[in-house]
Amino acid sequence: MNKIRIIIAREFNERVRKKSFIITTILMPVLMLALMAAPTLIMLFAKGDTKHLLVIDDSGIIAPQLENGDDVIFEATDRSLEQARADTDVFGVLWIGGDIVDNPADVKLYTNSSSSMALESTITSQMERIIENERLKRYNIENLEQIMKDVKVKVSLSAYRTDLTEGEEPAEATSSALAYGLGGLMGIILYMFLIIYGSMVMTSVIEEKGSRVLDVLVSSVSPFQLMTGKILGVASVAATQVAIWAILICGVGAAMMSALVPSDVMETVRAVEAGTITSAQAGMDADLISAVSLATNPAQMVMMFVYLLLFLVGGFLFYSAMFAAVGSSVDSIQDAQQLQTPITIPIILGFILMMTVFEDPNSTIAFWGSIIPFTSPIVMIARIPSHIPSWQIILSLVLLYASVVAMIWLAGRIYRVGILMHGKRPSFKELLSWIRQ
Amino acid sequence: MNILQIANVTKRYAGHTALDDVSLEVPKGSIYGLLGPNGAGKTTLIRVINRITLPDAGAVTFDGHHITDDDIRHIGYLPEERGLYKKMKVGQQAVFFAQLKGLSRREAVERLKKWFVRFGIEDWWEKKVEDLSKGMAQKVQFITTVVHEPRLLIFDEPFSGFDPINANLLKQEILRLRDNGSTVIFSTHNMSSVEEICDHITLINKSRNILSGSVDEVRRRFGENIFEVTYRGDPATLENAVAPMAEILGTAEVSDTPYHTTRLKLDPAATVRQTVAAVNDAIELRSFHEVIPSMNDIFIRAVEGKL
Repeated sequence: MNKIRIIIAREFNERVRKKSFIITTILMPVLMLALMAAPTLIMLFAKGDTKHLLVIDDSGIIAPQLENGDDVIFEATDRSLEQARADTDVFGVLWIGGDIVDNPADVKLYTNSSSSMALESTITSQMERIIENERLKRYNIENLEQIMKDVKVKVSLSAYRTDLTEGEEPAEATSSALAYGLGGLMGIILYMFLIIYGSMVMTSVIEEKGSRVLDVLVSSVSPFQLMTGKILGVASVAATQVAIWAILICGVGAAMMSALVPSDVMETVRAVEAGTITSAQAGMDADLISAVSLATNPAQMVMMFVYLLLFLVGGFLFYSAMFAAVGSSVDSIQDAQQLQTPITIPIILGFILMMTVFEDPNSTIAFWGSIIPFTSPIVMIARIPSHIPSWQIILSLVLLYASVVAMIWLAGRIYRVGILMHGKRPSFKELLSWIRQ
Repeated sequence: MNILQIANVTKRYAGHTALDDVSLEVPKGSIYGLLGPNGAGKTTLIRVINRITLPDAGAVTFDGHHITDDDIRHIGYLPEERGLYKKMKVGQQAVFFAQLKGLSRREAVERLKKWFVRFGIEDWWEKKVEDLSKGMAQKVQFITTVVHEPRLLIFDEPFSGFDPINANLLKQEILRLRDNGSTVIFSTHNMSSVEEICDHITLINKSRNILSGSVDEVRRRFGENIFEVTYRGDPATLENAVAPMAEILGTAEVSDTPYHTTRLKLDPAATVRQTVAAVNDAIELRSFHEVIPSMNDIFIRAVEGKL
């Protein structure tokens, strides 16, 4: 046990003192934020120039009602189609047939360069709205405009979870969007950690084998102690990294959010938290309120990180033992490629199953995916923010950690033989025979 | 008293037998040569002693009892393929290996500092291993092998990679360790170093122990009654004089001197005394001595099956 501790200490100290560790630990949260902001930024920059369109409207109905926007300006013209099309200063010509209300296919767009999906959908949606109104007008309903305004409606659904409050009236809507976003983020972090830290273990075993440090080490410690020490050491590095992020995000996040969010919004959020009003009454988006509420509530954030740590360490130990076994049985990283596929496939499968959680966190496939150890770390961490029953989380953790023990034992059998083998890359059949040896 | 006793050890791998019923005894306080061609099974035997691999049959007795994992810290092993963590600092690394052998951190630092001074490498403590030359790294590795003062030391080709000066330093250290009570098992292909420092040898070939014994006894056993005479005079006279009792193997002039040397193989019936008398009468005798085969000759003869 003492020897394992010495090995853990070496693995931990060597890795944590590396510049690359310090840099990624600090930069990763920044990168994560950037990654989340990326879609918005891309949308912002992808917006094209304002397009100028000439409109030849034979019906005379559509053109006056077309609304100019940021991306398109409509200009009605009485030039002939040929003349208008010859005008290269404009983006293009929209020609509308005389019988457009009855024949909505009678419309053509001529452009001087490639058109865009966004432009075409703007045109069609505007025209659909106008034509629908025109058709309604045929029924000669009095006060049509007033009626139209009256009937227009936008439904804002507040979802309540009765299973969480045990029969009492739920105080506030739960936000599914926030749960999915948070679950997805944690799932991705876990997936990345399994792959990155897993291959780190593998590479480091291959290096030890190549530099023959292993030959020296095994004369002092048993291969099992060596392997266990290594994966526990690397696991503690991963846990440290997540813990630092937790402190950074919970601490800085809580402080920053309180400062950033306008005080009236904060008041509303607090009122909703206290149950005095609902988000619908406050006239605010339930998702926004849940997000602010979570970000400014360290206790809830810490709980999420504790779950993340538990599943991260369990999942890592489960897979890293196998990564270590593969590393021990080859002489070079190239040789490892093929042998590591059976390890990476379940990890990727876990990532794919995580997507089904967004469809329905309680579907049969999501449930079993989060219980069976191969995929459970990633799938379960994605389900947790959706407030699933605790027994499922506990069952998943128990099964995961029980199979960690089995996995380490199994990997240890391969590792024990592998580290002394040099030369040809072993086949899967040989690996199996090592386990039985 | 034997510190190590190996009795009928057999180790099989899929496809081949690495050790076949090998037995040997290593006396306490000796320097024991473990010889054999490449692939003979030496490394497997060393791994069995170190409990890196367990034998399929047979027993290893360490200091009078069946060897256990706990005995491993009394063994120091310098493998043929040396390895240190390249990115780690020399001092930290040496402390790490010493701790694995059961030393406390403070004890390890204390002892290592002494060894570093002895080898004149005290200013390497903060250097990274990748900045050291191969010979320098070897010194560090040697220190990590011996720092826990093991009762049994196993060196696999300890001199490879050392220049003559450092090889000599290493040899002195090995002898000093022996004098301080350690037993040394020494695996090598370098036969002259075996003659120089080993007391006992075992020769392993094709997974079997084919020759064991003390170096002097083995060499004598392989002696073939061959003598070399150096003298001034006519070689023909000498040949005539010894013809009844010995076979002439060859004569050579000793360049730049008036001397000749002749090799004789004595008949089993003849005595050395008779021969010396006959030679002495025939020519002006300068020296007369037995030709004892070198370990190198014995190694080649034994391995090629000409025992």
